[in-house]
Formats: sequence, C-alpha cells, structure tokens
Amino acid sequence: MRNSTEAVVIGGGSIGCSVAYNLARMGVEDVVLVEKSFLASGATGRCAAGVRQQWGTRENCLVAKRSIELLEDLPDELDAELDFRQSGYLLVASNEDEKSQLEKNMELQNKLGIPSKELSMTEVGGLVPHLNVEQAKGACFCHEDGHLDPFKTTFGYARAAERLGVEINTNTEVIDINYENGIESVVTDEGTISTELVVNATGPQAKFIGQMLGLEHPVEPERHQILITEPLEHSLDPMIISFQHNSYIQQVPHGGFIMGYGNPNEPHYLNYKHDWQFLESMANKAVQQLPPLEDVRVLRQWAGHYGISPDGQPILGEVPGYKGYYLACGCGKGFMLAPAIGEGVAKLITGEEPSIPIERMNIERFKTGELINEPAVV
Amino acid sequence: MRINNHPILDQKKEEEEEITFTFEGKELKGFKGETVAAALIANGVRVFRRSTKDNRPRGLFCAIGNCSSCLMKVDGESNVRTCMKRLEEGMEVQRQEGEGEI
Repeated sequence: MRNSTEAVVIGGGSIGCSVAYNLARMGVEDVVLVEKSFLASGATGRCAAGVRQQWGTRENCLVAKRSIELLEDLPDELDAELDFRQSGYLLVASNEDEKSQLEKNMELQNKLGIPSKELSMTEVGGLVPHLNVEQAKGACFCHEDGHLDPFKTTFGYARAAERLGVEINTNTEVIDINYENGIESVVTDEGTISTELVVNATGPQAKFIGQMLGLEHPVEPERHQILITEPLEHSLDPMIISFQHNSYIQQVPHGGFIMGYGNPNEPHYLNYKHDWQFLESMANKAVQQLPPLEDVRVLRQWAGHYGISPDGQPILGEVPGYKGYYLACGCGKGFMLAPAIGEGVAKLITGEEPSIPIERMNIERFKTGELINEPAVV
Repeated sequence: MRINNHPILDQKKEEEEEITFTFEGKELKGFKGETVAAALIANGVRVFRRSTKDNRPRGLFCAIGNCSSCLMKVDGESNVRTCMKRLEEGMEVQRQEGEGEI
C-alpha cells in the first residue's frame, strides 16, 4: 500500500469507486481507495438495483437526471457491461394525497426536463398486466428510469480507476484520521497514508468516519430488508414503487423478482439481521400488488441500510472548517446517484464547474436550517 | 430402470397402483404416489430440462428438493420440483422452455 498520496477515498461502494475513477480521469494522478471489506460489500451490493429520476426536490431531480445522462455512455466509457436497462419506474398512488404529491413532483420533474408522465389505469394495465389496479388511484411513469447492476457498476468503476493508476485496497479498515489545520494522514489497519485530501464515501457508515475528526454527521443507518425470488421468464418491465406499501418491486435481468422495504420507525443502527416477519409481510405486500406472484418461490433475503439524512438529500462537498475533508454520501439513494455524485465531487475537488447543484447539498445546510425536504423516499 | 430385488428394502408390488401420465404428450406408466422424477427415470427419461445459459442437459441431481436440476412443467405449472412432486393419474409433465412463467 502506498504511504503517501494526493487523495484517499474511504469506501469501496458505488460512490467511492465513482469518485476515485472521476478524480483520476480529471487528472488527480495519485488516488488511493480503502475499503474495510470487499467492493460493494455494504449498501451498494445490498440495494434493489434501481435508478430513478422521479424525485420531489429540484436537487435530487437534477442529480438523478445527470446520473441517467452519464449512464447512457458509461458502459463504453468504463469498457464494462453494466446491465443498464431503461425499463422505467412506475410510482403508484393509492389515495388522493399520494396522487396530488405525485402530480406536484411530476410538474417539477417535467420543468427540469425529466420525461415523467401520468398514466391512466388502462395504460397502467397495458404496461404491467400483472398489477392489481384496484388499489391504485393514480400512477406516474418515467421510461428513462430503470435497472442498473450494482456489482457490475461498482467493479466497472473500480477496474477503470485502476487502469488510470488508482490503488484500491480492500480488507483495509480506516482506524483514524490525523487532522491539524488540514488533513495530514489516514491511519488504517494496514498502515498510514499521508494525504491532504480525504473523501468520505462510506454511505450509511459515514458518521463513524466523521467521529474520527470529532464531527457529527447527521447520517443514520436505516435498515431495509430485501428478498429475491426464483428466476422466471421476463414479465415485468418497470420497477413498481408503492407509497401505500412503502415497497419497491422489480424483475431483474436474471429473471428473479427483487423486492423490499424498510421500517423508518426502527432504531437506527447497523443491523444486518433479517427476519421471517419481513418475509411474510413482504410476500403479502407483493401479492396484493402483483397477484400472480403468489406461487413464486423465494430464494433468499438479506438486510442492508439506507444512510438517511434529516431531509433525504445527499450530503456532498467539503465540510466547512475542515480543509481537505469531503463528503460524498448519497443518503438512501447513493447507488443510483453514484455516477453524478462521483463526477460532481471530483469536479469540486479539481476546481471544475460541477454539473449538479452541489453547493446546496453541503453539510452546512443542517446548521443554517436550509433543509431541502424530499417527499418521495421509499 | 427400477430396483426389483433390493437386499434390504421390501418391495410390496401388490400394493402399488399402476397409473398413466403423459410426458411431452406421450403416454407413460408409473406408480401412484412415487415421485414424478422416479416415474420418468423408470421410463428411461434422463433429460428433465436444459440449463438456461448454455442449454446443457439437466436431469435428476439432488433428489431431495434442494437443487433446481429437475424443475419441469407439471399440469401447466412451471418450476415444479419433480423429485418432490407425487405422481397422480393423468398428470401432464413437460420439459419447460427457459425459466418458466408465472
């Protein structure tokens, strides 16, 4: 492992690898990435593999839109198959409140150039014949949203970064960060790396890195559980988001149906346990929405975490008063925003004009109270 | 292929009821209550399905319902584990195309 470098990226998930790749691409020659386990071992590899632009705030919409733009050329750029499939996201409202919120969000999305549209129940039936539309009062659809493979994407970024000279160290845990008028070094269980720049891309675990600098980052791990069924012939195109069930369901390219939800009222801590109660209630939620799933077998289930911030927005950029210490946290949607976050944070570091409104997403907003509350989190 | 004389286990022939089922539309005989897979093996059927990626032949493998080697379409239902499913009169057994449908 190098003992001195220009920049250390902490976290080998989609965002960490994206940041490292983008830094190298923009000319930061010496970048070291450290990951305490293996690549995509945390939130990235446990997510439901969706990418969507249908958010309820200008900031989230713009970051998501930039991600989709980047994803269109990303497989060529990284020279990797990423299983990016634009099969859409269908957001289903079950009552008038949810419907009017969806309409409000759609208006904002359309204004920002995101082609989401409202569908009639007949159109919904045509798009997803299996869907039980009895419970639905309205639905919004965006055909540019869809599926992206978390592992292939993370490894795609990582391999491309390595080709540009980035050193990736897995099974290397950060123990401490030395700071005195600026970042001095990062201490790991494999040795110390002196550097003046650190990017914290540890998602739901961001606060633990912050604590090393005496900081309190308002990012808490919220457990979500997910299951996947046996593979079946392709029969469901879009990801189905239900606000009523607080759940997400999609059929991945391999044929399995992946579905999950989290309980926001649970205590927030890193809890990788998953339980039969989830299996039972998720099965109920799924069969209510897609009745033909009744006879489909479940292969496995697991737990992972959203790193939630108080307003549901990413936290990006340099921490005021801590020169050289940057945050790159997607906060519950990090994987789908990783392309734009990686590019944005790298541009901020290298002094280029970011393509996303990154200043608005600085951690400073929690001090000044300028929160940007996201109404469309599931 | 059947074991007619087993050194330890008794084979009570008189208690077994011979029934008819179809495999790929062809009529075959089997015993009621034995597994679909056993009846197919007894009739010389070795290929139960083909692997989805490389189209390789797959037959009875674990025989205890754990693997997915013997999945077939039975009475219109996809992905039935034939090593666990009991044979009944008139059952329609087919090799399924691809991953099966819901």
